[in-house]
Formats: sequence, C-alpha cells, structure tokens
Amino acid sequence: MESEKQRKPLSPFFSEEIAHRLGGETITLCYQCGTCASSCPVAKTTDKFNPRDIIKLSLLGEKQQVLSDGAIWLCSSCYNCQERCPQKVEIADVIYALRNTAIKEGHIPNIYAEFAAGLMAEGRIVPISKFVEKKRPEYGLPTLKPAGSDAMKKILSATGFDRIKWKKEEAS
Amino acid sequence: MKSYALFLGCTIPARQPHYEASARKALTKLGVGLVDLDNMTCCAPPPLQSIDLETSLSISAYNVCLAEEANLDVVTLCTGCYESLAMANNTLKANGKLRERVNKILSSVGKEFKGTQEVKHYLRVLVDDVGTDRLKESVSKDLTGLKVASFSGCHLLRPSALLKFDDAERPHVFDDLIEALGPKSVPYKNKLKCCGGLLRGYADDVALAIARDKIVNTTKAGVDCIITLCPFCFLTLDLGQMLIKSTFHEEYNMSVLHYTELLSLALGIQPKELALEFHKIRLDNVLNKIK
Amino acid sequence: MWKMEEAKVGVFLSDCAKQLSEILDFKALTDFVKKVPNVVSVTRGSEFHRGTGLNAIIEAVKGKKINRIVVAETLPKLSEVIIAKAVEEAGLNPYLVEVIDLKDHCASPHRDAPAEATEKAKAMLLAAIERAKLLEPIEKLEFPASKSVLVIGGGIAGMQTAEDLADLGFEVHLVEKAPFLGGLAARAGRFFPTDDCAICIESPSSDVKAITHTSRKCVYRSGFPEIPNLNIMTNSKVVSVEGVPGDYKVTVEKKPRYVNESKCVGCDVCTTVCPVEVPDEYNAKLKTRKAIYMNNPPVHPPVYVIDESACKFQDCAKCVEVCPTKAIKLDQKPEKVKLNVGGIVVATGFREYDPSVIKEYHYGEYPDIITNLELARMIDGFGPTAGTIVKPSDRKPAKRIVFIQCVGSRDRRWNPWCSGICCMISLKHAMLVKSANPDADISMCYIDIRTTGREHEYYYEKAREMGIKFVKGRPTEILHDPDGNVLVVDVEDQILRKFMELEADLVVLAPAMVPAEGTKELAQTLGLELDQDGFFKEYNSKLRPTETKMRGIYLCGGATFPKDAPTSSLHAHSAAVKAAKFLMSGKITKDQRTAIVNEEYCGDCEFCPVTCPFNAISLEPEGEEHFVAKVSDLRCEGCGICVGTCPVNAIELRHSRPNQMAAQMNGLMSVNGTKKPLVLAITCSECGHTVVDSSGMAMMQYPANVRVMKVPCTGILQVHQFLQAFKAGAQGVMVVGCKTDGCHYEVGSQKAQKKVDLTKVLLKEYGIEPERLEMFHMVYIEGDKFAEAAQTMTEKLEKLGQLQLSEPV
Repeated sequence: MESEKQRKPLSPFFSEEIAHRLGGETITLCYQCGTCASSCPVAKTTDKFNPRDIIKLSLLGEKQQVLSDGAIWLCSSCYNCQERCPQKVEIADVIYALRNTAIKEGHIPNIYAEFAAGLMAEGRIVPISKFVEKKRPEYGLPTLKPAGSDAMKKILSATGFDRIKWKKEEAS
Repeated sequence: MKSYALFLGCTIPARQPHYEASARKALTKLGVGLVDLDNMTCCAPPPLQSIDLETSLSISAYNVCLAEEANLDVVTLCTGCYESLAMANNTLKANGKLRERVNKILSSVGKEFKGTQEVKHYLRVLVDDVGTDRLKESVSKDLTGLKVASFSGCHLLRPSALLKFDDAERPHVFDDLIEALGPKSVPYKNKLKCCGGLLRGYADDVALAIARDKIVNTTKAGVDCIITLCPFCFLTLDLGQMLIKSTFHEEYNMSVLHYTELLSLALGIQPKELALEFHKIRLDNVLNKIK
Repeated sequence: MWKMEEAKVGVFLSDCAKQLSEILDFKALTDFVKKVPNVVSVTRGSEFHRGTGLNAIIEAVKGKKINRIVVAETLPKLSEVIIAKAVEEAGLNPYLVEVIDLKDHCASPHRDAPAEATEKAKAMLLAAIERAKLLEPIEKLEFPASKSVLVIGGGIAGMQTAEDLADLGFEVHLVEKAPFLGGLAARAGRFFPTDDCAICIESPSSDVKAITHTSRKCVYRSGFPEIPNLNIMTNSKVVSVEGVPGDYKVTVEKKPRYVNESKCVGCDVCTTVCPVEVPDEYNAKLKTRKAIYMNNPPVHPPVYVIDESACKFQDCAKCVEVCPTKAIKLDQKPEKVKLNVGGIVVATGFREYDPSVIKEYHYGEYPDIITNLELARMIDGFGPTAGTIVKPSDRKPAKRIVFIQCVGSRDRRWNPWCSGICCMISLKHAMLVKSANPDADISMCYIDIRTTGREHEYYYEKAREMGIKFVKGRPTEILHDPDGNVLVVDVEDQILRKFMELEADLVVLAPAMVPAEGTKELAQTLGLELDQDGFFKEYNSKLRPTETKMRGIYLCGGATFPKDAPTSSLHAHSAAVKAAKFLMSGKITKDQRTAIVNEEYCGDCEFCPVTCPFNAISLEPEGEEHFVAKVSDLRCEGCGICVGTCPVNAIELRHSRPNQMAAQMNGLMSVNGTKKPLVLAITCSECGHTVVDSSGMAMMQYPANVRVMKVPCTGILQVHQFLQAFKAGAQGVMVVGCKTDGCHYEVGSQKAQKKVDLTKVLLKEYGIEPERLEMFHMVYIEGDKFAEAAQTMTEKLEKLGQLQLSEPV
C-alpha cells in the first residue's frame, strides 16, 4: 500500500535569511563536495548528523526540518570541516547561525535553557559551588575575584538575549 | 618578565582546582606574572555562541576590554576560553563594521573595544616569554621514562585562519613543549580529532562513543597518560572512563593530566600541592615514572 | 606648428529620403546654417555617403571651394569612413570632416516635439561647424615593421605558431627554456579523447618531407627543425625586451649545453661512463638519469645535454674522453644573443600545481601518492617503468588505484578556478590502465565530472562501461596504514550517504593547472598583464583573442588558460594570423590622432607615464635635472587619459584639443528655443555614444534639451571642463562612459568617475547643487536607461530651478 506523500511547504529564501545572519554569511558558497562530512567526528559516529546534509537542506529551503529535527545540536564545534572546506564555507559558524535562528523561533533543547539561566543569574554558565570556593586556600589559590554579573546582565539586555522565550521545548 | 591578565573562565574554578593550582604555581615559578582582574565573566563559549552570536561576541569583547583597560595582554588556561576570546579579538580588530556593532552594545556597560591587546594561550607565553631552552633548564626531575599522548583538543588550533596558533594539519608547538620537559610525545591514530566533549548533556551516547575512540587509540599507542589543555577534554576523558566502564564494561585506566600538572611535576612542585585528588583515574603509574 | 588657414566650411544636410524633413524643419536649418560665419555652402540632399550626394562633396573638394566638411548623415559611423576616404582621394586631409547624426540623435528620439528637435538640430550643426573650423590635418605615420617574430615557448602551441609564421615567410626565433622542445605535451603520453600519441599529435602540421599532406609525423621526424627561416634556441631564456612594436630588441640568454650540436651523434656512450646519478625529473623522479642525458623519446634537438647542477666537470670529464666525435665541451659559456623582431608570441603554457601544500593529502610524504603527470610517465611505454603501473614505494604492481579530482583546483584556499582538462585526463589514465590491466580496481572521487568538449561525454561513457567506479565525494584525508603498506582514502559517497575508507595501492591526484614558472617575471619583462588567476591576459577574448594590450605581442596556448590539444592548436594558428597581419606589409601605418606634449609646460611630475594604460609615454631627460614627457606615436591609442591627468594642461590630444572640445560645448549650449533646462551629455566614443545611438534607433523618447557631445574616452575630461559646461549654459551635465570594469581604454571610465565625484564636492563649495552633475556607466543595449536618465535629469533640474552663477559668463 502506498503511503500518502505530503508536500511540506518549503521556505525558498531560507538560505538568504541565514546568509544575512552573523556567522551564516558563507552558506551559499557550498557546492556539496562532502569534505565536511568525512572530516566530521560526529558524522562518523551517528547517522543523525551530517554537516553536508544540513547545509543542503538549508539551501533547498527545508527550514522547518533543519530548525526542528535536532540534528543541528549535534555539532561538537571542532571546526575540522571549516578548516578543510575548499570553498571556505564557515560551516561551524553556519551551524551557530542555524542554532541562533532555531532558538529565536522557539526550538530550544533543555540544556541550552539551563546554560542561559546560569548566565542570566550569575554571569557564568557553570555555577561555582560555595563548597569548592571555600577550599581554594587549601590549594594555595587566591580568593576568587567577583564576577561581572551586573555587566553581564546589562549586555544580555542590550542584545535582547534576556527577552528570548526560554520556555522548555521538547528537544529532539 | 611580562605580566598577563589571567582569564580563568567558568569550568576551571568550578570543577578543576588542580588545573588552576598547577598553572599558577608553574607559571609563577617560571617568572610569568599573573594578574587577577575584577568583573570577568564567562568567556562565551560554543554553548553561548549557539544561542546568539551577537551576545557571545559582545561578552567575549567585554572581557578583552577589561584587559585593555588594565593595559595587559590576556592569557587563558582553557583552550575553549582561548578560542572565544582570541577569535573575538582578532575578528573585531579586522572587521570595522562588526566592531561598531559590538561597541554599540558595550556602550551599555561603559566599555569600548579598541583592539590594543593580544589574547594568548599559556603555551604561547611559554614559547615566547620563557623559551624552550629556559624551560629545559628549569626541569629538576627526570621525566624521560614517560610516554605520553598529547591531545591539544580542537580549539587551540582551529579555525587556524583566525587563531594562527600553529599549523593545524602539522602542529608541533604542544609536542615541542612536552618534550622539552623530558617525556616522549607518541603519535597515535586520529590525534587531532575532537573528543566529543561539547555534546555532553545533549547527546551523551554520541559523546561517549567519540571519547571511547580516543581512549582506545591512545591505549593502543602504549602511552602512560594523555596530556590535555582543555577542561572539557579532561572531563570527557577522565570522568568519561567511569562512564565507559559502566556503559561498555571496559576498563582502560588511562591517566589524564593537564599540561600544567606535568609542567609542575617537572619543575619539582610536590604532587600534594596540586589538588590531584580531583582526578578520577589514578596517576600512580605516571608519578612512579617521575624521578 | 601648423597654421590655421581661413576655414571654408561646406555643410551637407541629408534629409534621408525626406524622412527627416517630416520632423525637422530643413528650411529653418538651412537658413540658420547659412548665417554661421565661414560657412560657404549649404547643400541639402537625400544622402551623402553615396551616389550624387557623395559626388557633390567630392566636386566641392576638388574645386577647392571648401576645406572643412560637416555632414549630417544617417549611420554616421559608417558614412564617416566612406566620406573620409572619398575626401582623401579628392585631395583633402580626411580628418577635416565632421559627421553628425540628425536621425538617431535628434529626429527619432524627439519626434514628439518637432519644434524643439529643430532647435536641437541647429545647436548640433553649430557645434559641428565650430569644431570643424578648428580641426587640423592629421598625418598618417609609417613605422618600420621587421618581418621577424620571436616565439617564447617550444611546446605544442609555440611550435605550431612558429611553423605557421615560418611558412608565411617570416623569420622566426623559437626560444625554449628547457634543453629540448615538446613542453608538457611530450610527457603527457596520449591526448584525449582519441588517445593518439601526444608526441605525434603535438607535431605541427609541416609539409616538409610529407609524402602526402595527410601523413602525420612524430615531431622528431616531422622535419620541423628543417623549416627554412626557423631558428630554434633551446636551453634559452628571454632576458630583456626593449624597443617598440615592429622593432623589438630582445636579449636571449643561451645556457651552455656543453655538447656541440653539430658533432653529437646520439650514441649514448657518454652516459655509460658518467658517474653521477640524479633523480630524473622528466620522469617524475621514478628513475634516475646521469648528469649528461637526453630525454627519451627525443624531441628536437637530438643532442645530449649536461645538467650543470649535477656534473662534476673537470673533476671527472670521463665523458669527454670517450665521446667518439669529441663533441663535449665542458668550457662552454652562457651566450647572450641579441634579436631584432617585429612581433612576439608568448606560448609558455602551464604546469601542474604542487599539491604538497595541501597537507591533508600527504603528497610528498607517502611515496605512493602521485599526480596525473607522474602516472602519465608510468603509463608511457618509454617511461621509467616501461609502461607498468607500480607503487613507487616498493615497486610492487599497483592494482587498486584511486583518483582524486580537484586537488587544489576549485579550491578557494589555493586555486579557485576549474582547470578544465583534468577530468578528461584522469578518465584517460583510468581507461588506459584498465585496458592494459583488466584486473585493476579503479575508483575516481569527484565533486563534478566535467566532460564538455566534442566527443568528451562518450569518453566518460566508455569509462563507466569499462567498470571504472565513481564516488561522488571529495576525500577529507589520505591515510597510510603501515600494516600492509596500503593507503586509505577517507571519503563520503554522498549518493549512498555512506562513509567509505577506500584502500589503494596508488592514489593519483589531479592537481590544478597553474601558470608556468616564470610567468610573473616574463609578464614584467614584456609589460603584459596577468588576470586574477595569474595567467596572461588576452586583451578581449571574444573580440580580440590572442592579442594583448601591447601591440605586436600575442598569446596562445595554455599560457592564457589550461587547454587541451585541439584548442591549443587553434589558438596557435590564431596568434600566427594576428602576428602575420601586423607585420606582413613591412610597415605599421597609424594616424597621428595621438597625444602631444607642450614641453615648455611639462613639469616632469610623472603622472602621465604612470597613468597611460599603453605605456606610450616615457620621461626623457632634458638639460640638467629636468625631464619632459614624450609620447610614442606608435604606442599611443588616442584615449586622452593622459590629458585628463595632467595637472598643468601640458599635454593635448590631437583631434580632441581643448579648444575643439570647448567649441562643441559652446555650440551645443547656444540654441535653446524652449524653457527647458539645457543638459550637456558628454559621452565617450565607445559605449557612451553608442548607448545614445541605440536609444534613438529604438525610438525611445527623451527631452530635446539634452545635447550630446562625443569625446574619445571620458578619461580625457578635466574638472574645469565640467565647470566650463555650466558656464556655457548647461543647467546639468551628464557624463556617460563605459562600465568601470569594461572601459575600452581600461581605466578611463574609473578616472572620470573620480573627477566627477571631486567636482561635486567643488560644486557644493560654490553653492551649486552637486546633483546637477552625474556620471553614468552604460553599455550599448541599455538605450532605455539612457532615455530614462535624460528624462530624470531634466525633471530634477526643473525642480531645482534656474542655475545662479555669481559672476556673469
């Protein structure tokens, strides 16, 4: 029995949208040679992630799929692809641009919401426990200088970071 | 000798006092001046870059501004911090439009990025300010019996066009600095490949599989330990072996040390001063080979 | 200096079989023109470029009734040539003729406003008459052209062009830097898509010793070296080139061969005693050769040569003793040869990029990773492995072979271009290896397969039929597994979406094809330009292929871009034709519409020699510590960019002198007849003027207050001329030139833009709205854009109102 094929709506100008974002400027240079895929440690470990695929889907306008299927969060930011790309596509940075877009549109994996919360509260993404801080003199470490959490809060406000809707979405 | 603004980042003060202790003690012993500045924040590493690049760039720039105001270059321990700060520094120095955009945001905290300072990783400080010759002379222990697998991680080297630390395909600076202390840096399969650390918390199974590869390859090379630079790599490979044991039922007992710990030991600093209890994998086999 | 005589202007008005008089009031025009001082006759007719019309002009000239001619004619660019020729035959200097277009520049675009069109026509005629009165006779100059040509490069293209020229009777000097002719083609083995032997095919089509003219001969027995007037110099390099087109003085340095060409019999005894062995670069270092050697098979000359970096000379000299004809002369010295040639053809070809910089591919580190050229040497039966395919590391047979395409090509980190021929080369090699070794396991990793030429697609088809495998994916790295001495190619097959680790005995890289070594230096020596990829730049590959900016210097073959054999051949024939046309008559004829320096004013500032795109201006010392600029009439192309550059107005362009240009300007601005603001449109004679033509030809309408003046290149214009235009009555000025990257004189349009920008700043200082002056960059087919711009300018000026000049004109 033939399954019903549904035509998903494409976002035909998605690649241009990404090209106008910080980090995404070089996405349209890609000519799908596949060097990034074979350079990628994650792609070699799981078939859920393939940088060449992600760029191809983005170029063709499969915005919904790219932003919501979770693949873009599997990049380990090792930059090997960007190093080897013969068209100098800034692949790892393009993936950041895709992630930035995904977050703006509400596709937020839990752990990133946690990072953001830590940042907004204390100016650090990994909070420093009082236990560890108390032990510093034991190891001959000087007192920790105060973190610039006020400055951080102001910057987060100036860029609109704190206005991102952090409600926890199902991360794929 | 020259003084630097020491940038600690988040992970090291939170979880790895052994890295901080060994770094401060070793660098100070070699004469490098370390200044702790007020009001530093998170460097804005990949997790933040993933949320918003404009924000992360501004935060990185903010931290560099603190150093600019103190008229100091920055030195980092964590290679992740090195990448965030150095990339931001070099990008903003070269791109006027972007600099304007970031400075607009920084004006909300009364700061302006001017591009007057450098961001260095401490390995660069060892090469430029101390020099391999003086380093060799300062070694008071015999480490020549040690065989190590050097693992610099990704962010010391890549993207090489912006960081310009070393040749990304044929790096040698890290190995040179290890061998200056006595041990032999042994080649092994996929030496330059990522440890998968940044996937922890999102896709633990993938991260663990990648980390396991690294442990297997270094074990096959017959080394006594892995030498790291990045706290994430350290966690992935040290703590990671506990997870490998429980998930794959394999025990490798591959010791993992940060370079500054190796350096401290080589300079004659006592192990008990280095908070080595924070290591999950025992270091006896390494310590026994240091005479 | 020529003295202006009393001008007697004859004006001839064509009404184009009464078409134009439907719109323009010819009676009014005739009456107007008659009143202009120095106009002695006004004739109206249907046409003046042929028939009775042309005769009328000829008669008037012969009868010495007129000595300046103004013709309003259709198709002025064509008519101008015909009328000028007829006038010259009748006894008047042909440059005393001014032809204007009342049809496409007046009647057609303004047919909706006939009264205004007539007023514009009056202004156009007045401008033409006033300019004609100031025209001076221009001489035709002749320069000697030596009927000899220097060909640099003795590969497939160089040999072909040398032979064509020698056959045409020119004296040809073929200079090749290697000790033997043949170039890259001699090492290629076979040529695709027919797989014939390259050494045969690269032989130029010579009729010497041919039995029938269909017999092909390998180059070493083609009789090529015996062609009369062909002087072949191998082991030689061009060191300096001076002089002018038609009379180039070239210095060639001949490196010593250490073997007397007239005595060597090619017996090979010398190599048997030579104690020195070095890696044979000709054979991809897959074998060694002696310090004295000859390539196999030999391409001309069949004479041994000594590698001076390897030879021990007098510390050994064993070869000298054993040579039966005493041909070896170890004391030979480099020789400087001076040549006098009329033209030069550059045929220096291309070479393979060295992939060792692409560290992830480990070329140079793992010996079993080779390039296509190195594989070609292995495949060649004459080559270092007698045609067997082996692993260089242990000489064991190589069964599993992986080709990798686009190595350092289409790569923005190294060479961004596609080298065009490498897909075919790899397919050729894959098929030759497979035919000779049916059990060979061959794969090709590619980004795209480009087989675009004639019959090239069938070549690809044949490769697939033979079982060659294709993997769509660019490998990230080549690894070496010491266990088994096997190479591993790490690649994703993106069609299968599968990561593959292809095991290979031999990995063959298809590197980029890049300009030959020494290209930069040669370009400097000859004054030639290189394109953005570093290859020699043709002046215009569509309109003027093989030509360069420098007259008399031509390019052919791979020197302009990588090419296959048929295309190189074609290109070589082309260059020969061009060089022959240039030098055939033994002289170069050129009119003197060139720049001329007023040496009293010249302040030796060096601006004009540096600015001239054709290197036509040099600084000559005059007296002590003073230089003056001098223009070469031979090199000058008459653009006037130097005029636009000179800060002290010390240089002028004949036939476009400042007073001639001012006369046009004033004439065009003198007649209005409407309330509309007058606009002066200054156009270059190339794109600028033709875009006005095309708007008229297409019957686009624009206001008649826009009056068009032609200059050779907008680069000739100076800031004060824009101000002059306003003073003459223009309310607005439009400058129309070629696109900045398409200026027919290279930089003129850009320079004009800069001056317009500067003038706008000045206008603002003077309290004049800078929008009154605009520059446009248009091409012929943009006639609609010109009409639109003219309309917009007029509307803008109407809004701005009348221009207030603080001083009376």
